[in-house]
Amino acid sequence: MSSWMMNLILGQIPVWIWPALSGGGVAVYLLSGILSHLPQFTPWHYVLRPLSIVAVLFGVFMYGGAGVTEILQAQIKEQEARIAVAEQKSNDANVQIQTKIVTQTKVIHDTKVVVQKELVADASKIDAECKVDPAAIKDLNDAAKNPLGASK
Amino acid sequence: MKKLITLFLIVSLAGCASTTKTNVSMSFPSATQDLLTSCPDLAVLDPNTQKLSQVLEVVSSNYSQYYDCKVKVDSWIEWYNTQKSISESVK
Repeated sequence: MSSWMMNLILGQIPVWIWPALSGGGVAVYLLSGILSHLPQFTPWHYVLRPLSIVAVLFGVFMYGGAGVTEILQAQIKEQEARIAVAEQKSNDANVQIQTKIVTQTKVIHDTKVVVQKELVADASKIDAECKVDPAAIKDLNDAAKNPLGASK
Repeated sequence: MKKLITLFLIVSLAGCASTTKTNVSMSFPSATQDLLTSCPDLAVLDPNTQKLSQVLEVVSSNYSQYYDCKVKVDSWIEWYNTQKSISESVK
């Protein structure tokens, strides 16, 4: 619970307020000690003393919380900077991989075109003395079919 | 007075104590579009084909398709290893 309270409050109020509040609390505590010796101010002593104690405790508590928040904020900024560098590296890696895919795919397709041209050129020679039996076609098609069904 | 000091210490230390962790993490990297398309099925022959050259045409086309898919799989492996290494560098 103290976490959100810290974030909410500490984000709005300057840090120096908390030691000042504690210091003020100590001063009021001492003042209430003096007032306790003055009969006409004795009722004030009963009001100021607990208030000063609360002020000191709250000031110290919040100052501790502000310190922790400051450390956390620094860690967050450091982590965000590292993530920004990593995301840039990740994007660069993607570009590099994409370029490699395009280059390799082009080589494969160029080779395919060359082979297809060779096949066209050699077709009459290849077909001259060979007639493919339908059983061979069926066997080849059976081998080419995806045994897991059509891909999506 | 002892109770007061104890209370003071407890409250002070409670202010410093924090279990909050910096919850800043890297978003999951996206892969390039080429890697996100699946490989097509192999081409099949027309059952009435009688010419060996036509058979070879389809077979060679399937070979090319295999190499296309090999590029994808190899790229996925490279992508995974690279992104894993980058992701681990920020933990």
